[in-house]
Amino acid sequence: MKIRRITAAATAVALAAALAACAPPEDEDGGDGDGNGGNADTSITVGWNQPFYSYNSDTSNGNATANSIILYLMNSGLNYYDANQELIADESFGSYELLSEDPLTVEYTIADGVEWSDGTPVDASDLLLAWAAGSGVVNTVEADAVERDESNYPVLDDGAVFFDSSSAGLGFTDIPEISEDGKSLTLTYSEPFADWEVQLDVGVPAHVTAMQALDIEDPQEAKDALVDAITTEDAAALSPIANFWNSGYDFTELPDDPSLYLSNGAYVLTDMVDGQYATLEANDGYTGERPAGIETVTVSWNEDPNAQVQQLENGEVDLMGPQATTDIVDALGGIDGVELETGVEGTYEHLDLVFNNGGPFDPATYGGDEATALAVRQAFLTALPRQDIIDRLIAPLQDGAEVRDSQLITPGAPGYDEIIADNGSDQYSESDPAAAQAILAEAGVTAPIDVRTMFAADNVRRDNIFNIIQPVLAEAGFNLVDARNADWGSKLGDGTYDAVYFGWQSTSTAVTESQATFGTGGLNNLNGFSDPEVDALFDQLAVTTDEDEQIDIQTQIDTILFDAAYGLTLFQFPSVAAWNTDRLEGVEPAPLNPTIFYGYWNWSVPE
Amino acid sequence: MFMFLTRRLLTSALVVLISTLVMYVLVSIAIDPLEDLRASTDPNKEALIASRTNALDLNTPVLLRYLDWLSGIPRGYLGVNWQTNQQVTELLSGAVTTTLQLVTVAALLAIMLGVFVGIVSALRQYSGFDYSLTLLSFLLYSLPTFWVAVLLKQFLAIEFNNFLDEPGIAWWFYVVVILASGIVTMAAVGGTARKRLQVFGIAAGAGLVAVAYMDLTDFFVTPGLGIIMVAVLGIAIAVGVTGLSTGLGDRRSLYAALTVAVLGVVLYYPMLYVWYYIEVNWLIIIGLGVLTVLVGLGVGLVWGGPDKWTVARTAALTAVPVAMLLFVDRLLSSWDSFVDNGLIRGRPISTSGRRTPNFDEGFWLNTLDLFGHLLLPTVTLVLISFASYSRYSRASTLEVLNQDYMRTARAKGLTERTVIMRHAFRNALIPLASIVPVDIITLVGGAVITERIFGWRGMGFLFADSLEKNIIDPVMAYLLIVAILAVVANFVADLMYAVLDPRIRVNA
Repeated sequence: MKIRRITAAATAVALAAALAACAPPEDEDGGDGDGNGGNADTSITVGWNQPFYSYNSDTSNGNATANSIILYLMNSGLNYYDANQELIADESFGSYELLSEDPLTVEYTIADGVEWSDGTPVDASDLLLAWAAGSGVVNTVEADAVERDESNYPVLDDGAVFFDSSSAGLGFTDIPEISEDGKSLTLTYSEPFADWEVQLDVGVPAHVTAMQALDIEDPQEAKDALVDAITTEDAAALSPIANFWNSGYDFTELPDDPSLYLSNGAYVLTDMVDGQYATLEANDGYTGERPAGIETVTVSWNEDPNAQVQQLENGEVDLMGPQATTDIVDALGGIDGVELETGVEGTYEHLDLVFNNGGPFDPATYGGDEATALAVRQAFLTALPRQDIIDRLIAPLQDGAEVRDSQLITPGAPGYDEIIADNGSDQYSESDPAAAQAILAEAGVTAPIDVRTMFAADNVRRDNIFNIIQPVLAEAGFNLVDARNADWGSKLGDGTYDAVYFGWQSTSTAVTESQATFGTGGLNNLNGFSDPEVDALFDQLAVTTDEDEQIDIQTQIDTILFDAAYGLTLFQFPSVAAWNTDRLEGVEPAPLNPTIFYGYWNWSVPE
Repeated sequence: MFMFLTRRLLTSALVVLISTLVMYVLVSIAIDPLEDLRASTDPNKEALIASRTNALDLNTPVLLRYLDWLSGIPRGYLGVNWQTNQQVTELLSGAVTTTLQLVTVAALLAIMLGVFVGIVSALRQYSGFDYSLTLLSFLLYSLPTFWVAVLLKQFLAIEFNNFLDEPGIAWWFYVVVILASGIVTMAAVGGTARKRLQVFGIAAGAGLVAVAYMDLTDFFVTPGLGIIMVAVLGIAIAVGVTGLSTGLGDRRSLYAALTVAVLGVVLYYPMLYVWYYIEVNWLIIIGLGVLTVLVGLGVGLVWGGPDKWTVARTAALTAVPVAMLLFVDRLLSSWDSFVDNGLIRGRPISTSGRRTPNFDEGFWLNTLDLFGHLLLPTVTLVLISFASYSRYSRASTLEVLNQDYMRTARAKGLTERTVIMRHAFRNALIPLASIVPVDIITLVGGAVITERIFGWRGMGFLFADSLEKNIIDPVMAYLLIVAILAVVANFVADLMYAVLDPRIRVNA
């Protein structure tokens, strides 16, 4: 028995050894591909915090920076904001012309040779679809009456039409006219509109929308059907179009159907893995003036800014633009070979005083005595140490940090310097508790005055602001009562506080944006401020299309706001961009969306 | 038994139902779906608020919304992420896969390491080794995940990748390795002063040889084992496994194990053929693993003897690590082309994510990439969770060691190996049977912090991210699943305990 077993084992070993004898000594990496990963040296990876989820960023849900940054690389447009927030027209894509001021008539013309990446020309039908969706003129259902299905999309039964759009402003327009050659579209407003320049641009491709919605094979035929449906307000055809427009372009990984992610700009989408990354490659068919600077741009998603910093240090990302906090800026500053650029964001911090809650700033408290209430407000703002806040909280994060001195215009934007020279903001340029005391004494108000101050409870920076302003205001005779609240957002405007500071988010430089904040009864008017002169000026501003006149009116409004001691703007949120200088140069972050992606056509790989 | 099951199921269902209600109300209070619109200056703000309020039924009382949510469950509808319009069921399936990929290896490693350390620690109770391990496990147990993660990223990824750029082992590293391997092994083995000295000498020598080998062969640039290392390690494994499993005195087992090791060495070159000609994937690797076990069993049975299944078990236990040596060797031979790849650029260890974007270079390189991404989160999870296992197994081993039957076993002259491995080890594992199922099943719930820091979009990430973005449906789906799993896990643990320990009976 034993011998047989040993023989068997020996035979097995011998057999294997025989096999081994004919084996090759080396056998490296068979079938492993070229191992070079394509054009690796003209590729970069950009870190971003939230994954892409919709190709249609004009829907109420799709309207998010997560989508618009990717689309910014993929799709061109009639105009864009530069790093100084100036609106630049891209003539290589198309042009627009003001035909008449009254009635306001604009003619849009798409340039020749501009094509979607499937070869279909971009033309007026694409603009028409964007108009139909944005204006809501062809909708047959109201926004707050819409039923939604289990995927959160509007239910459109029986030929109902509802474009679930996020835009506003096009509502005052009639159905546009399209020229014979299909390249131009003429839009007429029923009343003048100051921000007409940024109201209409090409969104999702019209031909794809109509082909998918109406089951048409030929792109041109599909466009014709779409133009027909909109111009005749044919609800039966518009219903599926709206339905597809609302829901058809949502995806979180690369769809099987390439028509769902066409480009008309510098980059085409070539890959997208759910929650991980999207890859964009230079669009060979793009002929415009903003071509891809880097061959391949990969956007890699990570929600944690600290993790992103370490990714940058480890070479996993080459460019990132996190929210600026002391930790992040310090960490970034400590990495070799990384360039840091600080700047500002669209959001700005401001402090408002409440006019209508029976508190210390409300005339009603003094028996309707406007002058006393004004004096109390002025005293409060005179003592407010704005420069201190900047020096201690913002200057460490941002080079050349400064106080924002205008309620209406962002620092650095066109007209800012002119406005702050005349708007009376200089009366609050320095904190002066003694002067504040004097104002209170003159008004005959006895200190200390309790001021319930609300701010976000779980926010370190706002907590620090409170700690800075409290002692200075105490010196001036104001006792700041800490009314911090985690739920501050929903408490805004409920009258339970006398002063509040938070950030307004601004996504464009549209001049009409501020009316809701300062106009009587406006949606964002949370402190009961009301001034007929301001209301009149805003009405005038809304219909003023000349830029110099706009600035003139804005200065007048700003002056009234400062004179009325409405409150004070504090600072623009600091932003930071950091990139690996070995891998990338030419980065020029912009304050507004698309922030770090602005100027991708200037990006290049250092020699 | 039937009554027990029924009663248990009914109470469990009730527990789950009530907890979802409580959680739904609490989450509704905590989140504010309109948060992002409140500070917006969008001219269209009013319409957006109205539309969202309408879409999310925010004006409906929370209890009615809860019932609405509950009514979807029987149909398999768990709601929708209203920001991206993704179905929660789809989100969950992706998240569960991600989580399992992340935590499975870490959990197995933590259990094995924890049990091993715990038992050794118990056997050397109140020695310096025991105290050091106690200190270490409490230290690791109390470390915050986010902090460990950041440190690991800095040293194990960034600094290590920098080191790979110009690899060279400093003299102090030699000293540290020699002392560490010598002292730790000496303390763990224990014994008389003379024996300690011997053990120290052997372990320190082994450490020196290992480091010198790495240094001289440029291991960090061109890592690999080669047939020589496979042979040395294979024989060491054979001896080690036999020693623990049946004892070296059992010659049949030893020969069987050695045969398996030699077979592995002999197959070294033929396997290179196999890797070359076969389009490898994980299915094939698992198939080869099963084959390996069968071959091991076969070899054991051929050696046979009166207790041939014991021999077969030893041979199979040897076969698996030997086969893994061959796999690792093949994997490491791709290291060069992996590190030089244009997307890796000499930095193989990643700090974040599941894979390198756009990296698709075949099985071996993709596997290296996966390991490069798994390394840090796995180390983090193991460091933090192995401590508790080592505590449990230490305590239970100590309890078992004081039992009467241990004294009986020793008294009747059994070898120390048999006493420890057969009488102490097995019984010491019984209490773990009530902990491990709970841990493993709740793993599906994910590791909230680890997943977030390492950018793995698993269950924990889904929960934390949705909560932060004020989206209730994924949060509730997560809580529902975790609640069900917790109930199931406890149930399984109870049953397992009853099966393993005849003293416990499940009664109605």
